[in-house]
Amino acid sequence: MVSTPVRALTYAQAVNESFHQEFERDPSVILMGEDVAGGAGRDEFEDAWGGVFKLTGGLIAKYGPDRVRDTPISENGFMGAAVGAAATGLRPIADLMFVGFVGVCGDQIFNNMSKMHYMFGGKVNLPLTVITSTGAGVGSAAQHSETLYSIFVHFPGLKCVAPSNPYNAKGLHTAAIRDNDPVIVFNNKLLMGGARGPGTGAGIHVPEDSYEFPIGKADRPREGTDVTLIGISYTTLQCLKAAEILEQKGFSAEVIDLLSLSPLDEDAILSSVKKTRNVVIVDEDYPMCSMASELSALIAEQAFDFLDSPPIRLCAPHASVPYSPVLEAEYIPSPEKIAQSALSILE
Amino acid sequence: MNQEHRPLTFVQAINEGIRTRMREDASTIVMGIDVAGAAGKADEGFIDHFGGTFSMTKGLIQEFGTSRVLDTPISETGFVGAGVGAAAAGLRPLVDMMFVGFIGVCGDQIFNNMAKMHYMFGGKVNLPITIQAQTAASGGNAAQHSETLYSIFAHFPGLKCVVPSDPYSAKGLQIAAMKDDDPVVVFQSTRLMGVNFDQHVPEDAYELPIGKSRIVRSGDDVTLIGIGTTTRTCIQAAESLAKQGYEAEVVDLLSISPLDEETILSSISKTRKVVIVDEDYPKCSVASELAALSAEKAFDLLDAPPKRVTAPHSSIPYSSVLEQLHFPSVEMVTNACLEVIN
Repeated sequence: MVSTPVRALTYAQAVNESFHQEFERDPSVILMGEDVAGGAGRDEFEDAWGGVFKLTGGLIAKYGPDRVRDTPISENGFMGAAVGAAATGLRPIADLMFVGFVGVCGDQIFNNMSKMHYMFGGKVNLPLTVITSTGAGVGSAAQHSETLYSIFVHFPGLKCVAPSNPYNAKGLHTAAIRDNDPVIVFNNKLLMGGARGPGTGAGIHVPEDSYEFPIGKADRPREGTDVTLIGISYTTLQCLKAAEILEQKGFSAEVIDLLSLSPLDEDAILSSVKKTRNVVIVDEDYPMCSMASELSALIAEQAFDFLDSPPIRLCAPHASVPYSPVLEAEYIPSPEKIAQSALSILE
Repeated sequence: MNQEHRPLTFVQAINEGIRTRMREDASTIVMGIDVAGAAGKADEGFIDHFGGTFSMTKGLIQEFGTSRVLDTPISETGFVGAGVGAAAAGLRPLVDMMFVGFIGVCGDQIFNNMAKMHYMFGGKVNLPITIQAQTAASGGNAAQHSETLYSIFAHFPGLKCVVPSDPYSAKGLQIAAMKDDDPVVVFQSTRLMGVNFDQHVPEDAYELPIGKSRIVRSGDDVTLIGIGTTTRTCIQAAESLAKQGYEAEVVDLLSISPLDEETILSSISKTRKVVIVDEDYPKCSVASELAALSAEKAFDLLDAPPKRVTAPHSSIPYSSVLEQLHFPSVEMVTNACLEVIN
């Protein structure tokens, strides 16, 4: 038997490939954001950046400045332009560099993007994708290290996805772009890597063909019987490492990779929890009114009689993200802490 | 001797709370859109034309003048930012952002500056600032002006968040918020503004402590947790349940950040059942937080799963018929309780 050829891509390469394929497939796809090309209009500097995390490199050379638009530092402006463009027939991708910048374009996202389809009685579709970077671990301090997907999920009218590896990153970006509703894609900085290297979890097989990963579906990267660990984006990798620690201690952990935060794949979550009867939810976002809270509440409400122990949330602390690398390393839930939490209910 | 009875409306109680703090402390100022209304046009008889969209700041400009009551342009990010700066530099601003849905045009000042400055400056700067925002729908304000959204504020470390439920708590929490040395956001439900509470409100300055919930009705069969308007809904549901032979305990949350875990958990440990009633969108909400908290910390004490009764995960309708159905009703809460009890 021939072994499956491995076509290893980094997370950034996988997302970039999705963009190239969707630009090629559909001429109404456009891209807007700060430094998505970098140096546009100046031949000697064109594509100097290709996005701060290199997700958008090469697009301007192939598709030109009409479809790849470097914007001023004006989130409210270009996010609003993207909403308007989507309402009038284009299929924009808008890059909100860091998720913490939502404060300067929240009105466009929360009041226009999420509500226009409803407010116009379904007569307007907004086939719009927002990509944004999340997470601590790179020394970007309190204002540039947040996760915050929880506050987007709070709003009806927004679909929210958080990939965890190059394979689902490519598929979820493609699905987001093709979706006729607004989709926010949260890309974790440690997964994207960038100037610091290829990113954690890089190197898995990514098919060259275009494919979609369905929005609304979770994945189960590891099967187990004793406890369910639910990860989101980067914390899925932490959960997989924790599962190995647990295996050494004689426990079999199942890992659910949430991927879709809104809508939630309740079936996948509940059927796993009903099987293992124990759950640890691992979330890097602030804990209060978070995805972890939502999952814990969902499980308590819908699987109460199946649980052998209370659901456990393991989140970042309810505190700003520290700049100090020592403290920052403590901030993100570690495999050791995840394993410890699981052991606290298993032993 | 007759017991003193000095009923104030929800709005009058807030107004009295603000006035109390402005008299007590000359560094207290008020800023916002139409907090006076037509300031600077006194000659034309327009001063204090509005006193705030909901009249919460009525009469303040006459007593304290234009240097302490500042009508701002429609520029939330500007005046909330000015409020943050004023607080950092020694004043005690109360900033009115009108509808909470306007958070999108001043989120950076609130989430990135107000919530984080004390931390980012290593504790060297205090921000004794109060934000007040009006929540919920009270008659056809439609999707963008009817939201509740306190859940997204509670998500951020560095913000204290309180939600009064009646005139008494409104005055006490307003004073406590304006005396606090940290940023406090006060969420005032427009659905409470037209209610005839006929409730005694003491004339004296008094504070309700931030971080404390209160039991507004005792019972043994089920715990109902209400927030702002929904506390009233819970009390009415408890009355309906009483007629059916069940005694519900009602916890009025009041403080959503920090949470009074002790009061919540001790009530649940007594009744062994909990129904959480919240008019915010359901996902990643205070209701989710409370359900998660109950499940995690009172798991062995619960006889039934925690239950959330919330608005649906959808935008708020303009149609008055649908708007009525959007918010948790007494019937919905009563039925949820019966389901949990049986």
